[in-house]
Amino acid sequence: MSADQAIHPPDLDNSPKKRGRSRSGTRSGLERSSARLGWAFASPALLLVAAVTIFPIVFSLIMSFSNVNVTGDGFSLSGFTGHNFSIVFTSDLWQHAIVFTTLYTIVTVIVEIILGTAIALVLERLTASRGWMMALLLLPWAIITVISAQLWSYVYNGVYGVLNVVLSPLNGGHDINVLGGSFSATAAMAVADIWKTTPFVAIIALAGLVMLPGDIVEAARIDGANAWTIFWRVRLPLLRPTLSIAVLFRILQAFGLFDLPYVLTGGGPGDSTESLALLGWKVMFNDLKFGPGAAVAASTAGIVLIACLVFLKVFRSQVGSEETA
Amino acid sequence: MSTVTAPAATPAPAPARPRRRADGARIITVVAALLVALFVALPLYWMVATAFKSTGDVAADPPQYFPTHPTTANFGSAFHQYNFGRYIENSAVVSVIATLLVLGFGIFAAYALARLPVRGKAGVMMTLLMISLFPTVALAAPLYLLMRDIGWLNSYQGLILAYTALNLPFAIWILRNYFLAIPKEMEEVAWMDGASPVRTVVSIILPQAKPGIFTAGIFAFVACWTEFLIALTLDNDDAHRTIPVGIALFGGQFTTPYGTIFAASAVAMLPIAILVLVFRKAVVSGLTAGAVKG
Repeated sequence: MSADQAIHPPDLDNSPKKRGRSRSGTRSGLERSSARLGWAFASPALLLVAAVTIFPIVFSLIMSFSNVNVTGDGFSLSGFTGHNFSIVFTSDLWQHAIVFTTLYTIVTVIVEIILGTAIALVLERLTASRGWMMALLLLPWAIITVISAQLWSYVYNGVYGVLNVVLSPLNGGHDINVLGGSFSATAAMAVADIWKTTPFVAIIALAGLVMLPGDIVEAARIDGANAWTIFWRVRLPLLRPTLSIAVLFRILQAFGLFDLPYVLTGGGPGDSTESLALLGWKVMFNDLKFGPGAAVAASTAGIVLIACLVFLKVFRSQVGSEETA
Repeated sequence: MSTVTAPAATPAPAPARPRRRADGARIITVVAALLVALFVALPLYWMVATAFKSTGDVAADPPQYFPTHPTTANFGSAFHQYNFGRYIENSAVVSVIATLLVLGFGIFAAYALARLPVRGKAGVMMTLLMISLFPTVALAAPLYLLMRDIGWLNSYQGLILAYTALNLPFAIWILRNYFLAIPKEMEEVAWMDGASPVRTVVSIILPQAKPGIFTAGIFAFVACWTEFLIALTLDNDDAHRTIPVGIALFGGQFTTPYGTIFAASAVAMLPIAILVLVFRKAVVSGLTAGAVKG
């Protein structure tokens, strides 16, 4: 596979829809039977996905509006109630979690996009060593989040962590436990997150940079624009669609934040790093309160859904030919 | 670092001043690249170095920047004192089977969505994309209750079923993009010759879509190998823990055995690191699928 194929643009414009529609006026028997065949091929996968994802999502929604009784040999749902949501929405824990998750997402994603784009600009200028750098960047992306969380918890350890050893002289020789304070623990977690996910953004941004039409940049250069102007006035605007997709991917992932706080901070100190997903999970599986837990999960899903709609809007404007149903 | 070497000087002789500026830019690029490489590599180095330190050296103050008395004791303790061998086995069984199922179901679904006149195709694709981005915590409780009902908690089949369904949407997206890029002519000839639909997919499409199938397979495998939330929810007894659950719950109440954890982590990351490094082009193409407009 050549490098050109590697950064392979999805062929979204070559939608079979267009071809199908042009012939749909005269649907032959063959077409009808291949429509059946299409469903025969697609339905096992789609039914499986529906059974394990869509059905539970709906079920979870029902649960969030019910009284859930879990006993030794089963569970039952009773009544339609808004009780779970009223408990959740008025609790300090939920209010804190939603503010924390939102702010954390905004800050980490902004840092990742700026850093990732900068790294992509560096990588673009590399020639022989670019392949090696790409390989290195893939490692944080591929690492098990739980492992990276353990790694950073060792780095941040308040007694023998390497960060403490570096920082404690600045603190008059006293130990520094970054995971001990609300703000510093949040910042420490953000650093761990940025380390793991910035490479993903950088790779996507690099793919976008490589795909930019060279002649426009060349024309700007001939017109006498310097590299700085070319970047801000020509390349960045052209790169924006790619970056916006990366942003939305990251926003959606970041709202599901769970593994990192579970291992690194346990949501603490206090509840200062407790994300919506962690809170929802704890309410369900530590407190065994499935109704309120489902309500927390539903509120997370609701926020993600809003983000999805934004995503769809951006996405549709980019692949105009695809969404014609 | 030997991996980031400055490329050879540009052969074309240029006027003195622009060349000096170009050299300056080149130096800045190389320095920046080195900083990026250090930012990425140092934490990884720290993990591997710690894996080879004795328990005392792990907590040394000041830290040992290089293991002075390297030992493999941590690897022994991961496999003997802890149940890490079992976790690897569990992860391998679940990830391999789920990946094969994802490809088996996904190839036919993606073919149908790429080539056959399926109604509501755009809606199906959008729904799949949204599902693949949905926060899994919303699935945890209903899946847990469902699996509990049918007695599949702490089993392979429960986790395999969940992982297959969770990874199908993204796999279908990747595969469909590859299928769309394959010229239609050969399939049409096969159809004309009376080859059955299944045979057409197997003998015409599969060979041409190998890179895409690879990419989809690697993504599904990495996702299964690294998934934590669902595994923690469904399979948390010691005999059924996967690697992430095992590593998250390693250790006692008061101490965290970092040396052992990182020895186990290094072993757990080895297959993924090799897979990703060897097939990095396939991985990059999968990462950028959907993000870059064609």
